Amino acid sequence: MNEVALVGAGVSKFGVRKATYRDLIWEAGKACFDSTPGVRPGDVEGLVVGSVMPERTAFQSHIASLAAEALGIRPSALSARTEHMCASGTVGIRYAYAFIAAGLADLVMVLGVEKLNQPSGDEAILNMGTGVDREWEAAFGLTAPPCFALAAQRHMAAYGTSEEQLALVGVKNHTHATKNPNAHFTRGATLDQVLCSRMISTPLRLYMCSPITDGAAAVLLASGERARALTDRPVWIRGTGQALDGFQLTSLHEDYAHWPALRRAAGAAYRMAGVGPADVDLAEVHDCFAIAELIAYEELGFCKKGEAGPFVAAGRSDYGGDVVVNPRGGLIGCGHPLGATGVAQAAEVFVQLRGEAGARQVPDAALGLTHNNSGMGEHVVMLYGREA
Amino acid sequence: MSYFRAIDPFPLESAEQTKLHEFYRHLGEGRLVTTRCAGCGATAWPPRGFCPACVSDRFEWVDLAREGTVHAFTVQETGLPAGFEAPRVFAIVKVDGHRVFTILTGADPGAVRVGQRVALAPLRVADDPTGHPRWLPAFRVASP
Ligand SMILES: [Zn+2]
Repeated sequence: MNEVALVGAGVSKFGVRKATYRDLIWEAGKACFDSTPGVRPGDVEGLVVGSVMPERTAFQSHIASLAAEALGIRPSALSARTEHMCASGTVGIRYAYAFIAAGLADLVMVLGVEKLNQPSGDEAILNMGTGVDREWEAAFGLTAPPCFALAAQRHMAAYGTSEEQLALVGVKNHTHATKNPNAHFTRGATLDQVLCSRMISTPLRLYMCSPITDGAAAVLLASGERARALTDRPVWIRGTGQALDGFQLTSLHEDYAHWPALRRAAGAAYRMAGVGPADVDLAEVHDCFAIAELIAYEELGFCKKGEAGPFVAAGRSDYGGDVVVNPRGGLIGCGHPLGATGVAQAAEVFVQLRGEAGARQVPDAALGLTHNNSGMGEHVVMLYGREA
Repeated sequence: MSYFRAIDPFPLESAEQTKLHEFYRHLGEGRLVTTRCAGCGATAWPPRGFCPACVSDRFEWVDLAREGTVHAFTVQETGLPAGFEAPRVFAIVKVDGHRVFTILTGADPGAVRVGQRVALAPLRVADDPTGHPRWLPAFRVASP
């Protein structure tokens, strides 16, 4: 297999954007090309676009070709759109990675884009029901918050995890987001604010949840040879894994605080890279809800099962701790424009491993991990290194 | 034309629309049924028209208990989709060894407990566009 590296990355402003899909694609595309002066749109051989519901929110299918034209890319090796709910972006990166590793392309852009906010807030929430089983789950009004709330209930009952420990994830990620001008929220949050914010689904309060966000992100992937020609600081893809336990809630592990698919996906990525959890300097994990970040610490191996609450409370997932988790602010602070999230995670690892993360730089970051999930039952993990 | 164009959130349940229509017909009569594979005898939840164990697509309908126990639950207070009212008690109910995703109707959200006994309470929702009645497998807190 050929080596594959990130050679460029860019992110749009995340938030409630008064912007079209095309505006967001332009913004992220420009930021990505600006990061890679040696690459112009005509050089890019392939484009993969992660996007979940443009059909619902913009009455637009065929989004990859729209994006290619918007950016002046004429794909000759790969052109595709990935829809895999909240993990669409990282699934797109895996496709581009596989194409380049197989020698079928040398330079591919992966772009994630989502415009979720609509003139009616009710509509934006209703659309999120498409991510669960329409006949057996969404028909009852189910969207993501109650699913993750079930995991939080169980984690609290089994391990004594407290509401305050859940809140500390919100505090940390909102605080990190104050150093990220592209984040949805940039004002930070105190423990009191998180604990007093309104209840969404017991025990998850507003500031423990990611918001409905619009945004886009783009990364450029290149073969080893092309990467070395383009930059003296490529960010290498070292490992990847993806695993599925189930789609419906009732197909998952009976104990909702256990996510075996994440353990398997992480195990595959660590084995491929020849590293372990202790080697990871920073991790962009899928904190769609605070409980997801806590369970991710455990399943990724940063701490033992059941010890995630004390782990966050002791600052071990923050600057100065064992591993800096969600330095850009995570989904809770940055927002969660579904298809863009996984790509934005990769973009953060790119700037961190190149030492370009400014005020939120993780000192001497050499190995970065991204974790993107689509529901509690499906997980994708990537490992990126400064060294090939 | 209004901007908001909601999709119909409920399943199409009639015989013309789904291979699993018997499930919904029985539910309307107050029975909770599911599929048993005619090939290997495996009982599934939710009902299914294809068996991953033996790859058969033949099945028969069998009754499940009309009572179960709460395995897990959460009360959603804010952020429900349009057309669904808060507070809403989402629950996983154990019925004959199967985990059933449902809502608890008529419950005091503050009084729901894991392990509590609940009973099937089929919920009539909006008719389909042809006027066919539709039901969902909801539960309620069982009388002591
Ligand atoms: Zn069978």
